[in-house]
Amino acid sequence: MATYLLRRLILGSLTLVAITVIVYGLARNMPGNPLTAQMGEDPSRKITAADYARMQRAYGLDKSWPEGYLQWAQNLLRGDLGRSITRKQPVTTLIGERIGPTLLVSGTAFLVIWLVAVPLGLYASARSGRADERAVSLVLYALYSFPTFVAALFLQIVFAVWLRGTAWELPLFGMSDLPPDASWGARVLDVGRHLILPVTCQTYVSLAYDSRFIRANMEEAVRQDYVRTARAKGAGPWRVLFHHAFRNTLIPLVTLLGLSLPSLIGGSIIIEQIFTWPGMGRLFFESIRERDYPTIMGLTLMFSVLTLLGQLLADLLYCLVDPRVSVA
Amino acid sequence: MPATPVRMVEGRPERRAGVFCVLIVAAAGCGRKIADPPLTAEPEAPTAAAAEESARQQATAPAFEPPPLDVLDRDAKWIDRPVKDAVAVLREQQAKEQPLCSVADALALRNDSAEANAKILSALGRLPEPGQADLDARIDRHVAGDLGSTNPILISSSAEFDILGLTGFGLFSYDRTLEPFASADTVTSWQTSADGLFDKVVMRDDLVWSDGTPITAHDIAFTYKVIMDARVPVPAVRSGTDQMRGVHAYDDRTVVFFHKEPLATNVWNINFPVLPKHVYEGTWEKDPTLKDSPEHVALEEKPVSGGPYEIVSRKRGQEIVLRRRDTWSTVNGKKVREEPFLRDIRFRIIEDPNTALLALKSGEIDEMILQPEQWMTQTTDAEFYRLNTKANAPEWVSFHFAWNIATPFFADRRVRRAMSYAFDHDRMLEKICLGMYEPCAGNYPPDSWMSGPKKLTPYKQDLDKAEALLDEAGWTDHDNDGIRDKEIGGRLVPFEFTVLVNQQPFRIAICTLLKENLEQIGIVANVRPVEVTTLQDMLQKKNFQACISGWGSGTDPDSSENLWKTGEMRNYVGYSNPEVDRLFAEGRRELDRSRRAEKYARIQELLYDDQPYTWLFWRNSFYGFSKSLRGYVFSPRGPYHYSPGSGSLWKPRQE
Repeated sequence: MATYLLRRLILGSLTLVAITVIVYGLARNMPGNPLTAQMGEDPSRKITAADYARMQRAYGLDKSWPEGYLQWAQNLLRGDLGRSITRKQPVTTLIGERIGPTLLVSGTAFLVIWLVAVPLGLYASARSGRADERAVSLVLYALYSFPTFVAALFLQIVFAVWLRGTAWELPLFGMSDLPPDASWGARVLDVGRHLILPVTCQTYVSLAYDSRFIRANMEEAVRQDYVRTARAKGAGPWRVLFHHAFRNTLIPLVTLLGLSLPSLIGGSIIIEQIFTWPGMGRLFFESIRERDYPTIMGLTLMFSVLTLLGQLLADLLYCLVDPRVSVA
Repeated sequence: MPATPVRMVEGRPERRAGVFCVLIVAAAGCGRKIADPPLTAEPEAPTAAAAEESARQQATAPAFEPPPLDVLDRDAKWIDRPVKDAVAVLREQQAKEQPLCSVADALALRNDSAEANAKILSALGRLPEPGQADLDARIDRHVAGDLGSTNPILISSSAEFDILGLTGFGLFSYDRTLEPFASADTVTSWQTSADGLFDKVVMRDDLVWSDGTPITAHDIAFTYKVIMDARVPVPAVRSGTDQMRGVHAYDDRTVVFFHKEPLATNVWNINFPVLPKHVYEGTWEKDPTLKDSPEHVALEEKPVSGGPYEIVSRKRGQEIVLRRRDTWSTVNGKKVREEPFLRDIRFRIIEDPNTALLALKSGEIDEMILQPEQWMTQTTDAEFYRLNTKANAPEWVSFHFAWNIATPFFADRRVRRAMSYAFDHDRMLEKICLGMYEPCAGNYPPDSWMSGPKKLTPYKQDLDKAEALLDEAGWTDHDNDGIRDKEIGGRLVPFEFTVLVNQQPFRIAICTLLKENLEQIGIVANVRPVEVTTLQDMLQKKNFQACISGWGSGTDPDSSENLWKTGEMRNYVGYSNPEVDRLFAEGRRELDRSRRAEKYARIQELLYDDQPYTWLFWRNSFYGFSKSLRGYVFSPRGPYHYSPGSGSLWKPRQE
């Protein structure tokens, strides 16, 4: 086990280096740099060629990208992710500010998705082909193909505008309306109400996908011989479904879970933008437009580490769900 | 160098430029979306490159020794400059104007014509009569992005300028015709020497920072020193102050600005934001980033305010709440100046324009900039007019096609003129701009003083003229393939070029119209939408043939010099005309307004003849306002970004 872990960690580190080199190289070779936007914005601030060169030097833009990468890696080893060029704050501070709100939405959505998708998937496979299952499938397909930004706007209009002043009213945007000195309980309730619409938007597409995923795997499993055997020996339908079939669909499910870990932190650009939710997705998007290399790299690093960890975690979980899998 | 900004308009969500009566930081880019980077990459680094720079500057520039004040007073012939109370001036102006309709009628109107717009502005834009305003009212303003910094000299984004306009201390401002003056709230007298080399300001003695410490002339001189120190990563405000020799405080109230040259633009250079000396004196040299040390981190959260408002709370990415501070209007128990009408100003950060509009419709915010399509289609129904109304006014922001003169296609002025004659300007205004914008024919707004008496009209579509000019320039169809061509360097080059545009449907539609027009005269224009920063990069590297773009005008005509002067970094089209270069240099040195205007009018005529741009239209500012809001008056920079600007806003007292 220890050797396996070590091997995976070494491999993971190499992958990490490769990812960051490629992303840094790509970012630095995109047209434009952090000074580009500045140049276009305010010509009354006359920038002379000498000034421009001085600023390039100050940001390390005069160095080639491999040199820049080495500098970044060196600072990283000292625990320094650098400072955002456009936002003037340390990258760690920026990430620190955004990670909580992002996790709040994605963590809640993640819970809701799996709490609903698993029973829904099982239900669908148990009732496969019948009218009620067909109806549920139809609704899920419809939801799956319904664009989030339309749904968000629709939900906003209904719950924040039309139902305004009623008990069903929900906040239009933002994370909280209360002043910072409000009581703890009131604030939790307030944030909870603000969460409902963004979480709904983030949930429904995955819900459709994941429940179909479970159903598809179950369909596969229920055709297996061991399921027929279980039925033959007189096990009840639910026992067959849970105990025999579902347990055998856990491996692909765990893979899916592992892979969804980075998306938990990644946030959603569209949902964050529409609901003015101070999360990571928007930060990443903006930092690319602004060519804010330190922020791009800080976020890339974090996403990569999480993806690799997610995979490792999934692999380790395989042993748990399927004793036949061995790490040796 | 000149103070107020020209700004490139690249179709980001609209800027929010708001400035209160006291401080208008002319030197900075009030409309800018992207925060400027600090000049240093990391806390330790400033020192290496910047200290070297600082040392170099100190080595080359002789130390500045201000003369004693009595010598200065004896030698300089002082000329009084205007010191005004912006709200009082507006009140006087409005007293002479009769409102075009009653408030009730204006609130019942739908803004679907120029006449209705004028009525709404005239009736709802008035200042309150005594006792009419609710002095405890709060306004919820929309802002599209959060603050990067609350430090007055580190700001650069539009949201930061909005807040600084309300919380910052300043001596100067400008009115709705963009004429500069000293603010009577902070200044007793302002004089300029007859030779234009000195400005002397005597400050009022009843000014205190929000922590109770008096605001003095020493704060001004101290701030100048910090701004000019190469170690401090000042993004936006140094481009004016670097035109001065120095700033010296002779006593608590008297400060003199020393200029390198007598320039008409000096009036903008002396207008910069002010730091509280007593707060930063002991900290700035230890941490010249002004951001990293624990003291500076604490100040970011709770800055010491010198303006009429102070920040009382902040939720990152969500809102910033300002409150009127009593120590602005009452000092030592005595009322010394008028307080602003609104007690609280809550800036609510909403990035998405659709969400912002829903927030306006449901009464969660009191005002917002409307996108043109929102104005046309989403704010015309009863649901919008239930709580809100809207108004628009001309703004000094213009759009154009730029022709890269360095390419073989557009080097010849006849070809550029042919482009302007080929383009169906009228169709663009009617069908694409839906009649909402005024035509633009040149660099300066037609009703501005620098535009001169001769009114330019846009080149109207005349395909015969366009074809004749192209023939004359040698672009004819030699190989009979339906496309014009010309022999260049022994090779027949077809007239096929690419026009760059950012990914905005509205602008793409204008480019497509150009493409159709040019097809009729045998020219192929390929429309290529590109990501905004990539577009910027291509323009800066002059790696383009043509593009559609926009600029916001500055308050001073000199600010467009770096669009047109030979070799300037923002002269993307590579325009070069020695006469234009000379006129800009002369214009800056000419202190007489009317003689100065002649120079800029001449520049405009030369540009009109040369057509390095095909100018398209002036864009209006469009605003949605809550029906409970009063006192909005528009300048060419929108309803806030001048004096009194947001200082004239009020809400009526509930009966």
